[in-house]
Amino acid sequence: MAALEAIGLRKRFGTLQAANDVTLSVEPGEIRGLIGPNGAGKTTLVNLVTGVYAPDSGEVKLAGQSITGLAMHEIARRGLVRSFQVTRLFGNQTVRENLLTAFHARRPANVDGEAAAERMIRLTTLGPLADTPAKKLSGGQRALLQMGCGFMVPGSCYVLDEPFAGINPVIKETILEMIVEVNRAQGAAFLVVSHEMAIIRQLCPQVTVMMEGKVAAQGTLDEVARLPAVVAGYLGKALE
Amino acid sequence: MYSTELVVQTFISGVMIGVLYALMALGITFIYSIMRMINWAMGEFYMIGSYLQYMLVAWLLGPDLWWLAILVATAGVFGLGLLTEWSLLKPISSKAAEVRSDYATVITLALLLMLRSLATGIAGPNQFTPGSNLPIVMVGPMPMAGARVAAFVFALVALGVFWAVLRYTWYGLALRATAQSRVGVQTAGIDVLRVDRVAFGIGVALAGLAGALLAPVFLVFPTNGLVTTVKGFEIVVIGGLGSIPGALIAGVLLGLIESFGAAFIDSAYQNIYGFVLVLLVLVLRPTGLFGERGREA
Repeated sequence: MAALEAIGLRKRFGTLQAANDVTLSVEPGEIRGLIGPNGAGKTTLVNLVTGVYAPDSGEVKLAGQSITGLAMHEIARRGLVRSFQVTRLFGNQTVRENLLTAFHARRPANVDGEAAAERMIRLTTLGPLADTPAKKLSGGQRALLQMGCGFMVPGSCYVLDEPFAGINPVIKETILEMIVEVNRAQGAAFLVVSHEMAIIRQLCPQVTVMMEGKVAAQGTLDEVARLPAVVAGYLGKALE
Repeated sequence: MYSTELVVQTFISGVMIGVLYALMALGITFIYSIMRMINWAMGEFYMIGSYLQYMLVAWLLGPDLWWLAILVATAGVFGLGLLTEWSLLKPISSKAAEVRSDYATVITLALLLMLRSLATGIAGPNQFTPGSNLPIVMVGPMPMAGARVAAFVFALVALGVFWAVLRYTWYGLALRATAQSRVGVQTAGIDVLRVDRVAFGIGVALAGLAGALLAPVFLVFPTNGLVTTVKGFEIVVIGGLGSIPGALIAGVLLGLIESFGAAFIDSAYQNIYGFVLVLLVLVLRPTGLFGERGREA
């Protein structure tokens, strides 16, 4: 059974068909890359899967159970965790409090939150900043913290929207290690949206390519990179 | 020359009334920071709190159990707040984010008119006062009406509880987080609509508590929420919308200014002095003393 399945998802915004019959399935323990030129509908797909929008038609399944049309928080509680391109942290709360909020949202009465936060502070290497408000962090540190918040409670599937965009190489490496570690330790599935082909090649055995709201190709990065349709989608069609 | 005694007495009464104004402002600012909407019917929840207090003391519990009446009246307003949010405000959440605060303004203004008319219709344009048999208390060398001192102490305790819940409970953490990123908390798995309901309940309960506490002092009538609401908004402007410390400090500041203005200039203009401060703040520091520059969405 697939960890995460999108079946025939469609979503229209005005005249723009942002998702047009998107079908995609991520296996348990898999780290799948999702690539495509700007405006291909990658973030729309992420938003449909995680409940930001309800699809016009189609279905989303998490570990075989339909989660179509559920509210964002319901989907998060069922173990599908996402990160945002623009980090959504709690600016006036400290690093530790951000982690605790993420923990208690899903485990309200559990007292182990403090210990889990300590572990995550080590894993994110944010130790010296543990009591600093999130709004004082750099872009990369925010990305790390957001990732840490997502990992506070073990989920079954993580959807990461551009986790490496505009982040310095050292922190990129730390985020990469966190993903590999969580994937290995929890057997969690990942769907990673990214433009960083070097990282995608290293992290994802299989990638899905989206173009103009549709799934255009699937395979290893080197396979899909040779397909004429994919090349044309990224670079534009050759001039006649 | 003014006597030191008069200055001290004016100061004490200013602080005491300021803390009660702060309750009102805190309710406005708290609801705004979580729900991103202004509840214009705040004064009507104050009014309902005061009527509940009057009815409980006059008909059911008697003046000796005034403190129990205050707890029951506050809880009643809290429940009414939950019901109001669920029936009138929650449906707004299905609308686009940009128009939600417009809808909320229309709905809460309509609620204001409806509740005020309802109170006039049911209880008539009369003024009631719940009897208080609290003795005069000596604060230092000054005699003070027992009801005022009791209201002050009660308000301080309520503020302490409010602060402790926000600071030390996980639900307080969820409330603070919601004020900072509504999308973020949903990603974390928090039901933001339920947080809204609780926040609205707590916000109007603060107004209801102020109404119940001030019932013996400012009396009970259909439009008694008006003046306190205006003061609540003055405080919010002075302290900065969305700032909890701002609401507390500006509340006490307003109490002091009114008190000193009334004692040393002219008591007929008591409700005007605050506006001078509001104008000054708007000119010198438009975000309020503790407010942050706003950003939509």
